[in-house]
Amino acid sequence: MKTVITGRSAITAMNMDEVIFKLGEPIRHIRFVHDLGKVAVAGIGLLMNDAAIRFPVKNSDISIYIGIDDAIEEIKERYFNGILDEGILGVSPLFFPYTSPNAFVSQAAIAFDIRGESIVMPCRSSYRNAVQYADVCIRGGYTKMAVTGGLISEGRKTDAGENNYKAEFFFLEDREDAVKRGARIYQELSGRLV
Amino acid sequence: MNSGVVITGVGIVSPICPFDNMDLFWNTLCSGKDAVRRTSLPLLDFDRKWLAASVDLNDSQRKITPENKLMFIADKALRMTMDDAGFSEGLDAGLSVGTVLGNILYKEKKLIKVNEQKSKTEKEDDGRDIEKSSLSYVTEYLAAKYMLGGPKLTVSTACASGTDALGIAARKIWAGETDIMVAGGVDVLSDFAIFGFDALQALTDEKVRPFDRNRSGLALGEGAAFVVLESEAHALGRGARLYGKVLGYASRSDATHLTSPHREGRGLADAIKQAVLEAGLNTDQIGYINAHGTGTVYNDLMETKAIKRVFGRAAYDIPVSSTKSMLGHSFGAAGIIEAVCCLYSIKTGIIHPTINFQERDPECDLNYVPNAAMERDVNVAMSLSAGFGGQNSAVVLKKA
Repeated sequence: MKTVITGRSAITAMNMDEVIFKLGEPIRHIRFVHDLGKVAVAGIGLLMNDAAIRFPVKNSDISIYIGIDDAIEEIKERYFNGILDEGILGVSPLFFPYTSPNAFVSQAAIAFDIRGESIVMPCRSSYRNAVQYADVCIRGGYTKMAVTGGLISEGRKTDAGENNYKAEFFFLEDREDAVKRGARIYQELSGRLV
Repeated sequence: MNSGVVITGVGIVSPICPFDNMDLFWNTLCSGKDAVRRTSLPLLDFDRKWLAASVDLNDSQRKITPENKLMFIADKALRMTMDDAGFSEGLDAGLSVGTVLGNILYKEKKLIKVNEQKSKTEKEDDGRDIEKSSLSYVTEYLAAKYMLGGPKLTVSTACASGTDALGIAARKIWAGETDIMVAGGVDVLSDFAIFGFDALQALTDEKVRPFDRNRSGLALGEGAAFVVLESEAHALGRGARLYGKVLGYASRSDATHLTSPHREGRGLADAIKQAVLEAGLNTDQIGYINAHGTGTVYNDLMETKAIKRVFGRAAYDIPVSSTKSMLGHSFGAAGIIEAVCCLYSIKTGIIHPTINFQERDPECDLNYVPNAAMERDVNVAMSLSAGFGGQNSAVVLKKA
């Protein structure tokens, strides 16, 4: 069994709005609480298009394995500072669920109706663990196809506001399955990429 | 069917008998002890108490500050687990840790300090501070301290984190990447989470009553727990004691809502079905289910529906109990603690009760082992977890 890459996407917060708009009606109307969610949905949407996967998927053939760095910490700070500033009235029930890093990936699972596994692996810098694990899951037959990659911040919060997030995603599947569905194969998942 | 992965060491630091031996923990749990009580916030001074289950430190541990508690209990639980498995530092093993909020009290403390200073220019924000509040810090710290040389993974899938950490560790061994993985979960009570769940109206102000008609919400808890997983060949080769075998694991996404579970338990039912399939078993071979069982109206109903959807009429013959009725919900630690409870049911032939059960809900009509432990020879058990974001996980464990 050989895992191959049949889709790829890269996005930053600078071009996410344009991508979201192009992804069509239902995606365009999603209400995002934070830019990280928008980056995740835009990046995975681009990836699905690149891999020629139609959405909504409506089954568990595709799983998501994503690494996320300290980008999430800034959201926790905003949430907790609300409490420090205003006490119990400063608690945002809307914001609280987004202090868990899986929220942004789940938002993409909901947007594209991806019902397979949804695993988030916090990391300090490299999202290699997530890609390696996606490969394990393809080769082990735990999932047919996988969205993998990373959601990262290019630095701590700057004066530019939240627009410092970026994402890079890969669509993985078994070579035989990819050939069967006529997918474009970029390359075999090699040690170099992982 | 998966080849053999066995569990050869366990360790738990929970609100019940936190630093005692596992047998005492298990016997106390089976006696139905309720660890949930009125508790103040860990750091903020607030004129209100919430129901929660905390790990109380003893006199000699009083020097442990709240912001160091997470690392302290994680270290204690890992030490207990390594000793139990007969391992010492410098092991060629991987580490997979599930956590939802990580070292959140460290972050809170820092933000409180900054807020008190009321000056951004005095803000301490060096690299070490950022590193200590990173979610992956717990894993990196423990792996370095115990000199674990294998793969290091942090898993954050909301309240399914512990179960996913265990399942991912098993897959690493099944894939032949390593012979030994230590899998665990840890989270502590925080002002952060108490306020958040309170705002979502998910906390009970009475008793945690999973599956009861009058259930009114969950209580938060805290803890740390680890298990050692080994390839069967490796464990047998060194004559290790076997707690049980990991037969199957699966995770599925609801893909419907960020904070509410799928009303019919679609994702959880899919995870259960897939885990049983991977285990190479039939549904009638599952002898016990440790439920996610939070005590919220929607979780318990969807969980009951998911179990019935998979097991059909046979669901009524399977004992289903909730550890959270006694220990509260310890987020990342919960899945591992509950998997260990499954192993102890397999080992002792006793299933712990779901406490505070008073009135049967017509829609939650399974055998929830109400209020008193039950004797039952358990050969195969299943532990279920669910979480925000529509996370659902199931792990199947069997007598070794």
